[in-house]
Amino acid sequence: MVDVKNLSKTFDGTTEVLKEINLHVDKHDVVAILGPSGTGKSTLLRCLNYLCEPTTGVIRVGDVTVDAQNHTKQQVRDLRKQSAMVFQGYNLFKNKTALGNVMEALITVQGKGREEAEDIAIAQLKKVGMLDRKDFYPAKMSGGQQQRVAIARALAVNPNVLLFDEPTSALDPELVGEVLNTIRQLAEEQTSTMILVTHEIHFARNVANRIIFMEGGYIAADGTPQEIIDDPENPRLRQFLNLVGK
Amino acid sequence: MLFSWSYFLEAFPKVLKGLPTTLGLTVIAAVFSLLLGTVLALLNYYKVPVAVQILKVWSSFIRGTPNVTQIFFFYYGLARISTLVLNMSPVVATGVVMSLSMSAFMAESIRGALMSVDEGQREAALSLGMTNFQLTTRIVIPQAVRVALPTLFNDMINLFKMSSLAFTIGIRDVMGNARIESAASFRFFETYAIVMIIYWIFSLLMGMVQKRLEEKSNAIYSSSTVTKDNKGLLNKKLQKEKN
Ligand SMILES: Nc1ncnc2c1ncn2[C@@H]1O[C@H](COP(=O)(O)OP(=O)(O)OP(=O)(O)O)[C@@H](O)[C@H]1O
Ligand SMILES: [Mg+2]
Repeated sequence: MVDVKNLSKTFDGTTEVLKEINLHVDKHDVVAILGPSGTGKSTLLRCLNYLCEPTTGVIRVGDVTVDAQNHTKQQVRDLRKQSAMVFQGYNLFKNKTALGNVMEALITVQGKGREEAEDIAIAQLKKVGMLDRKDFYPAKMSGGQQQRVAIARALAVNPNVLLFDEPTSALDPELVGEVLNTIRQLAEEQTSTMILVTHEIHFARNVANRIIFMEGGYIAADGTPQEIIDDPENPRLRQFLNLVGK
Repeated sequence: MLFSWSYFLEAFPKVLKGLPTTLGLTVIAAVFSLLLGTVLALLNYYKVPVAVQILKVWSSFIRGTPNVTQIFFFYYGLARISTLVLNMSPVVATGVVMSLSMSAFMAESIRGALMSVDEGQREAALSLGMTNFQLTTRIVIPQAVRVALPTLFNDMINLFKMSSLAFTIGIRDVMGNARIESAASFRFFETYAIVMIIYWIFSLLMGMVQKRLEEKSNAIYSSSTVTKDNKGLLNKKLQKEKN
C-alpha cells in the first residue's frame, strides 16, 4: 500500500533529517512510529503526502508513484488523494461547520454533489460520535471534538492510507481518551491502512500491529509490538522506552 | 449675534449640494482602491518576486507623504509631463489620487488578513488534494474578509474624509461649497459648523454600518446556527434510516 525507496530530506541544504529511508507498508497494516523528538517522524509522514517535499527518493501510495527529482504538480495532487492526514493541531477549516469541513474535499476534490457529500459526511460524523455537533463551527467545539471531526474529514475521502501525526498531543489530558478510542475503533475495523506517529506507548502497543522506532533520521528498529516494546534489543530503543516510562 | 441660526439654515442646503460629489468620490475611490489593494495583497501573499518590493516602496511612499501634496503633485505636477493628466477633470484626478493612495493602506490590511489564516488550514486543504485556487477562494479569502472588514471600513471612512481635499483643486464638494459660501458671506463659523456636522453624521452612519457588519460576520463563525435547508436534509435522512 505504501512504498518508500531511498527517501532523503535535507532542510536548507545542510540538515539531513531523513537519511535514505526505505519502508514498505502492507494493506490494512496499522503502523505506529515512535522515537525521540526531532528525529524526523513528522517529516517522514509529511513526505508521504508531499506537504514536505523530499530531496530524493521515490514514494508510492496506493497506485500513485512520485519521484522527488522528477514530478508534476498533478502527480503530487494525485498522490495526496491517496491518503488523508489528521494533524496535531486539528486544522479544521474555521469558516466551515463540522459538516462543511467533512464535505469540503468530497465536493472540491472528488466532484460529488452536495446531497451525496452530505450523506457521506453525516455517516462519518456519526461514526466518530459528532453528529449532534454537525452545525457547530470549530470555534465552538472542544479540542477532542475538533479532532474527531478532523478524523471524520479524513475518513470521508475514503483514503487508501490514514496518516496521524501525534493526534492527541495538543489535547487536554481528559480529552485524550475520546480521540484514542475513536482511532482504536478504526484500527479494530481493519478496513484502512494507518500510519500514526505517537508518544502514547501503551496505545501504540495495543492498537498497532507493527511498530517503527526512528532515531536520528533512520529507522532504527522495526517489528511487532512484542518485539519492539516488550522485548527491545536495540540499546537506544531500550533507553528511549525507559525514558518515556514504558 | 455670534451665531446666526437663520444663516445656518439658509446655507445648509447650499453646502449639502456638494454631498453627492463627496459621496461619489468616496464610493468610486473605495471600489478602485479595494480592487487595486486586493491585487497588490494577493501578489504579495503569493510572494510574486517584484511585487513584494513594489508594495513596500509604494506603501512607504504613500504613508510618508500628505494627501494634499499627493493631489497637487499629481494634478499640477504630472500634468506637465502627461497629457493624460493635463486633460483630466479635477474630479477624476482626485478620484485617481484617492484610489491610489488608499490602495496602499488596503493592500496592507488585506495582506494581514490573508496571513491571519493559519498554515495548518492550508496544509489540511492541500493534504486532501485541493488546488491552491480552491484553497484561496474557499478557505483563505472567506476568513480574510472577516478579519479585514473592520480595517477596510475604517479605510473607507478615511476616504470619505480625504475627499474633502478635493476643494484644493476647485471641486464643489461639501467643503468646496462651504468655501464659496463663506467667502461671500463672511459667516465662517456657521458655514464650517455645517461642514463639520455633515461629515460627522456620515462618519457616524458608516461606523454604525461597520458595527452591524462586524457583528454579523462574527456571528456566522462562532455560533451554531442550523440553517433551514440543512435541517430539512437531516430530517429526510433520519426518516430514511428509520424506514
Ligand atoms: N521546515 C523546516 N525547516 C527546517 N528544519 C526543519 C523543518 N521542519 C523540521 N525541521 C527539522 O527537522 C528535524 C526533524 O523534525 P520532525 O518534525 O520531523 O521531528 P519529529 O520526530 O516529528 O519530532 P517531534 O517528536 O518533536 O514532533 C528537526 O530537527 C527539525 O528542527
Ligand atoms: Mg513531530
